[in-house]
Amino acid sequence: MPYDTQADIPDDALLVLYANGDQSAARSLTLRLTPRVFSHAFRMLGDRAEAEDVAQEALIRLWKIAPEWRQGEAKVTTWLYRVVANLCTDRLRKGRGVGLDTIAEPEDDAKGPAQVMQDRARLDALQAALNTLPERQRQAVVLRHIEGLGNPEIAGILEISVEAVESLTARGKRMLAKALAGQKEALGYSDDG
Amino acid sequence: MTDKDRDDMMLDALFAEARADTAAEPSPDFLAKVLGDAEAFQPTAPEVAPLPERSGFWRSVLAVLGGWPSVSGLAMAATAGVWIGVVGSTSLIEDGIGASLLSAGQDSFLSDLDTSYAFVVE
Repeated sequence: MPYDTQADIPDDALLVLYANGDQSAARSLTLRLTPRVFSHAFRMLGDRAEAEDVAQEALIRLWKIAPEWRQGEAKVTTWLYRVVANLCTDRLRKGRGVGLDTIAEPEDDAKGPAQVMQDRARLDALQAALNTLPERQRQAVVLRHIEGLGNPEIAGILEISVEAVESLTARGKRMLAKALAGQKEALGYSDDG
Repeated sequence: MTDKDRDDMMLDALFAEARADTAAEPSPDFLAKVLGDAEAFQPTAPEVAPLPERSGFWRSVLAVLGGWPSVSGLAMAATAGVWIGVVGSTSLIEDGIGASLLSAGQDSFLSDLDTSYAFVVE
């Protein structure tokens, strides 16, 4: 990340610097953690505005807990993903609808409008399919396959065993494939291939 | 190729597209808002309040004398003076020379202290 001049410093050490009043640590942590937190919230909720609310709330909790953070005890991202997951779960359980219409249109001049629409359609279809999964399956699939985390870290975030994570992601993928089955050709995937 | 393989390929391709999706990136405005929060909630080192200026007679005397270094020098000199006075007076009185100095009508000479001061008359 080009603006993170403290790229070699681990998250928890940066958090200690932050708690000691280091302003560059505040900037580095913001630039390093916000994209991850926002991305996960967005994949869980499918709505930019709600994802921003959740990401902001999760990070405010981090800023507040910083003075009491004990270095080396817990991984900052694990703690943060757990907070995001819980906040998303709270919102989803309140029965809000998923506003796929609010997903921003990409600004990509390199592709023609038809290609952009097709790409967008695929991503919207994936998001719609993700939204049909039970929360825990959705969290596990997003963390494993979109955020790219390892199973042990996901197990720490969801507070379950690694075997349970493997089971959740396998079931989640099966359900995703089922949800997308009727749209394969429309999305540019053919059973012939 | 089985159905499962085809499904896995499709999902892997979709996941790869999702990872590169700019819609899942935070906007610059949102980043600025988060940074604003970070700065607002950041603890600051407690400011050390300056000690209140005290005034009084002894403080002004101390200032006139030049502060504690000067006063400690004066105290050292005074102590040394008292010590020299006490030790010197008793030793001189004891060996008789002090007594002769204190009593009137008697001449005292340096040669009484040390014969090297005496002129040798041949």
